[in-house]
Amino acid sequence: MKIRSKRYAAGAVLALVASLGLAGCGSDDSSTAGDSGGGGGGGDATTVTFLPKALGNPYFDTSDAGGKKAVDEFGGTYAEVGPDTIGPDTQVSFIDTAAQQGVNALVVSGNDPQALCDSLNAARDAGTKVVTFDSDVDPTCRDLFINQATAEGIAKVEVDMIAEQIGDSGEVAILSAAANATNQNAWIKIMEQELADNHPDIKLVDTVYGDDDDQTSFDKTAALLSDHPNLKGIISPTTVGIAAAARYLSTSDAKGKVALTGLGTPNQMRDYVEDGTVTEFALWNPGDLGYLAAYAAKALVDGDITGAEGDKFTAGELGDFEVGADATVLLGEPYRFNKDNIADFDF
Amino acid sequence: MSAATTPVLELRDVSKSFGPVVALRSGSLAVGAGSIHALVGENGAGKSTLVKVVAGVYRRDGGEFRLGGQPVDFASTAESKDAGVAVIYQEPTLFPDLSVTENIFMGRMPLGSGRLSGRRIDKGAMHAEATALFQRLGVHIDPRRPALGLSIADQQIIEIAKAISLDARLLIMDEPTAALSGNEVARLFAVARSLRDEGRALVFISHRFDEVFELCDTVTVMRDGSYISTDRVAETTESQIVAKMVGREVGDLFPKTVAEIGEVVLDVQNLETAGEFHGVSFQVRAGEIVGLAGLVGAGRSEIARAVFGVDAYDAGTVTLAGKPVPAHDPRGAIRAGMAFVPEDRRQQGLVIQGSVGKNIASVIRSRISKSGLITAGSEYAAARPWADRLEVKTNALDMKAATMSGGNQQKVVIAKWLATNPKLLIIDEPTRGIDVGTKAEVHRLLSELAGQGLAILMISSELPEVLGMADRVLVVREGQITADIARDDATPENVMAAATRSSEKAS
Amino acid sequence: MSTDLLVEPSRQSAGQRALTTFLRSRELSIAIVLVLIVIAATLKRHTFVFSHDGWRDTLLTPSILLLLAVGQMVVIVTRNVDLSVGSVLGITAYATGKIFIANPDTPVVLVFAAGLLIGAVLGAMNGFLVAFFRVPALVVTLGTMYAFRGYLTHQAGSKRIVAGDIPANFEKLGTQQLLTVPVLTLIGLAVLAVVGYYLHTARGGRELYAIGSDPDAAHLYGLNVGRRVFGAFVLSGALAGLAGVFSVARYATAFAGTGRDLELQAVAAVVIGGVAIFGGSGTVWGAAIGAFLLVTINRALPILGISDFWQGAVVGGLIIGAIVLDRVLSLRRAHQLIEARDVTEEEG
Repeated sequence: MKIRSKRYAAGAVLALVASLGLAGCGSDDSSTAGDSGGGGGGGDATTVTFLPKALGNPYFDTSDAGGKKAVDEFGGTYAEVGPDTIGPDTQVSFIDTAAQQGVNALVVSGNDPQALCDSLNAARDAGTKVVTFDSDVDPTCRDLFINQATAEGIAKVEVDMIAEQIGDSGEVAILSAAANATNQNAWIKIMEQELADNHPDIKLVDTVYGDDDDQTSFDKTAALLSDHPNLKGIISPTTVGIAAAARYLSTSDAKGKVALTGLGTPNQMRDYVEDGTVTEFALWNPGDLGYLAAYAAKALVDGDITGAEGDKFTAGELGDFEVGADATVLLGEPYRFNKDNIADFDF
Repeated sequence: MSAATTPVLELRDVSKSFGPVVALRSGSLAVGAGSIHALVGENGAGKSTLVKVVAGVYRRDGGEFRLGGQPVDFASTAESKDAGVAVIYQEPTLFPDLSVTENIFMGRMPLGSGRLSGRRIDKGAMHAEATALFQRLGVHIDPRRPALGLSIADQQIIEIAKAISLDARLLIMDEPTAALSGNEVARLFAVARSLRDEGRALVFISHRFDEVFELCDTVTVMRDGSYISTDRVAETTESQIVAKMVGREVGDLFPKTVAEIGEVVLDVQNLETAGEFHGVSFQVRAGEIVGLAGLVGAGRSEIARAVFGVDAYDAGTVTLAGKPVPAHDPRGAIRAGMAFVPEDRRQQGLVIQGSVGKNIASVIRSRISKSGLITAGSEYAAARPWADRLEVKTNALDMKAATMSGGNQQKVVIAKWLATNPKLLIIDEPTRGIDVGTKAEVHRLLSELAGQGLAILMISSELPEVLGMADRVLVVREGQITADIARDDATPENVMAAATRSSEKAS
Repeated sequence: MSTDLLVEPSRQSAGQRALTTFLRSRELSIAIVLVLIVIAATLKRHTFVFSHDGWRDTLLTPSILLLLAVGQMVVIVTRNVDLSVGSVLGITAYATGKIFIANPDTPVVLVFAAGLLIGAVLGAMNGFLVAFFRVPALVVTLGTMYAFRGYLTHQAGSKRIVAGDIPANFEKLGTQQLLTVPVLTLIGLAVLAVVGYYLHTARGGRELYAIGSDPDAAHLYGLNVGRRVFGAFVLSGALAGLAGVFSVARYATAFAGTGRDLELQAVAAVVIGGVAIFGGSGTVWGAAIGAFLLVTINRALPILGISDFWQGAVVGGLIIGAIVLDRVLSLRRAHQLIEARDVTEEEG
């Protein structure tokens, strides 16, 4: 596998040099667009392969289900592949396989911004459109990123929720996923800024990593509570983390005393919202996210859009979307789930 | 005594083969109650195989086997144990991590009585019984200490205690005194006599004739896997037993040709390794076969290993053809012109899963390699002349060494070393485990090699081999060379005498 | 001092002897390390022990590893190893969830029994291959570790047992306490006591030690080596199965990756607890303390100001330290035993 990815890397470098030579000082976006011109959408059904960070994560189950719905709507062929553990390079072999199978589009949530680049670029050289969602990779190695929400939007909603729940003052901590998770780290950075700028009485005392593993997240929650006796709130911007933290809190003395919020799915959080452990948490609709990603992939394959800023396309029942800067499409604002509305959702 | 009417143990024409190798041809032995019966014979005469058949380790191929008059056939050691047979091996097998008591009672620890304690071991009773056993044997061993760290003698005592607690009627001791000091031997003998006086039957295997005569009442001689004779000790002599052990006309089997003795090739001076041997000095000349005789454990192999540099030594010098040989450096020894055929071919001499060709070529790899690569062709080209010369009976050089007979394996090992063009060949037990026919071939080969001017140092536990092959016999006893006997003066008696006189008498 | 004991047992009363053995035991030294760590963490943060959650977690968190370590110890003492326990735990954890999904009213006792049974069957597969086909345990259990995990991944796929699937009464068991001691810990300690009692007082237990001490001698002694080794693997599997049920009770979740890497933690706990990796010596008490130590260190290090990233290194250092200590102690002990014997020899 090593050897193969090296060969691809060499190929990718050659392609890059060639495109630079053609496009002169042009942007990467336009050069990749030029590359893909030859492929063209044929009469065959569009094949779209979803590659989540890992299988077994209900969040990705839902997003990929949304993707499948969209693919079925436009009459394409849907597939889902993925590793069963999260690691910087566990996705590489799946990308290589998809490229070899010549799928039209690959919809990826990247475990690492750089580690996948060689393989993704090799796939793109082979004619596969690469759309990232949830977690972006380096912009030079994908065609489009479907942003579930802006980092600013997510960070803000989480800070707002915790501030409301703890009365805008006291110690809080963050329970994140892996220490090298792209999106989590970006959100954390903005949350820190947001807290410093607008919530001077809230003190962020610790950030711990549960590696998106139930038991690790569970044990880290216990450690947070024991390390910080004055803790008033925990923000967990990961669905696995928030569920594990809620599980620990629900049986702990800290239940009802320490607020917990973050990003979670209604099914995982339902028990804890109902028993009062958790007041409110947020998420976009991952089903919509996968749905949008699939339509964006279709638009790329058909040549309707190239990923240039201002390109417009229609994503089924979600309506019209416009490509923003850095070949990014934004889904919308995060949604808040609480006692009043949680019963309306099932994912 | 009624015990004399029905022997406790009776074996008649028992045989056992391992593939093509016949280990036991027709072993017979009858031991009565209240008797200590000596079983003697050269190494390889089949004593140990016989013992293992009785112990249930091996299953005999043929012959009769009775215990207390009843025919028996043991499929496992557990069965023999249940039937009252206890075997004490040269190297006792104890569990080092468990206590002395647990070692004695392993597999049949006493359980407590009562409903609750009925499934747990009654440790108090067990320790008490062990203490009583040791008191009876007149030894001081803490029954609660682990077996780890006990001397061989103590371990044997534990084995004996186990045998007594099992109420064994037959106790077989396989060379129990080989590793014991004078005091320990005396203690063991006292125990053995008291067991005899209780009416148990004992079989005592030993190479030390003085011990046989001191302890035993009857002696059975074995040779080449067969029963030879049984005599009352009082009615026989050491030389009669030796004659029966050696048996054949020395020389018949060993076609030693007279070679021209040349310059000194190997010169060893005052070699010493603390605890193993000391003051060892000898020479081997070109064309000369020097036999290193002595009992197992006397230090012969250790001396050879030190000379070749496999083991380090504390003092002394080794010189080959006038040049000093570096200590503890087998590669240096090979470069200087030494070759070493070890005793255990399977473990040390042969790549047993490798082909014959590979094995022969293995020590000369650097010479036959071309820019670092060794091809099968070059290996076989180098190996072919040696295999031919030694008449290795294998159709193809790519046959696996493991599938060959012991004799052919030995020839492959010798061939392997001859490929280095040595000046000196050290060979340890050249014919152990080899059938009689091939033995003669190995001997003829050694004789021929000597005739071509090779100096040979041969270690052998088989007296006839030493007497037949060696131009000179060096006898090693307890780490010292105690006799240097020229070929014409060497007799089984004087070699055995020099090798077996036990330490009390010597000192 | 110590040599007196070795030479003349009669000079000391049984009580004195037991005390000496206890004071010189390997178990005591790691127990002291454990206590020191707990004290250090508590001094830094008194809630580490002196709070409802802290006290509960100190006792509860190690209970799963405790079960695995007890089973692993019994296997290791026979000079084998069971690397499949993490996968067995994963399978029974997932199965537990499936049982509740199928029938939320399943009695808890039945779920525990099912966990034990599934684990025992999987352990029997290991034991069968090791004991009767004479395949090295390292190879067999490495193979079944992957095979069991593969089966689980196939079955579970991307599905996950979530808290909503687990009935409340079973979830409650995960944190239920009896006189402030968590129920799961009590069960774990009861298992420990039974296994420990068996190993030290039953014939079978002593034979397990004998087999690990010298397998060839065990055959010569006529011990039924195959049956005992088989039994050890069945026990290890059954306890891993029980640990799978514990895992669901505690974490209220299970998926394809549940229990991954726990097998190595179990081996580490056993080794840290002073059980010789080549069998024959050590106690199940040591393995249990090793499990507590391993888990407690992970909880205490952040409090002591050592970052997450160093925890692996600390645990590694602990394992190597334990092995070096064992080696030094065993050499010294062998030396003492030989000396003790020489003294007897001179007296006698």
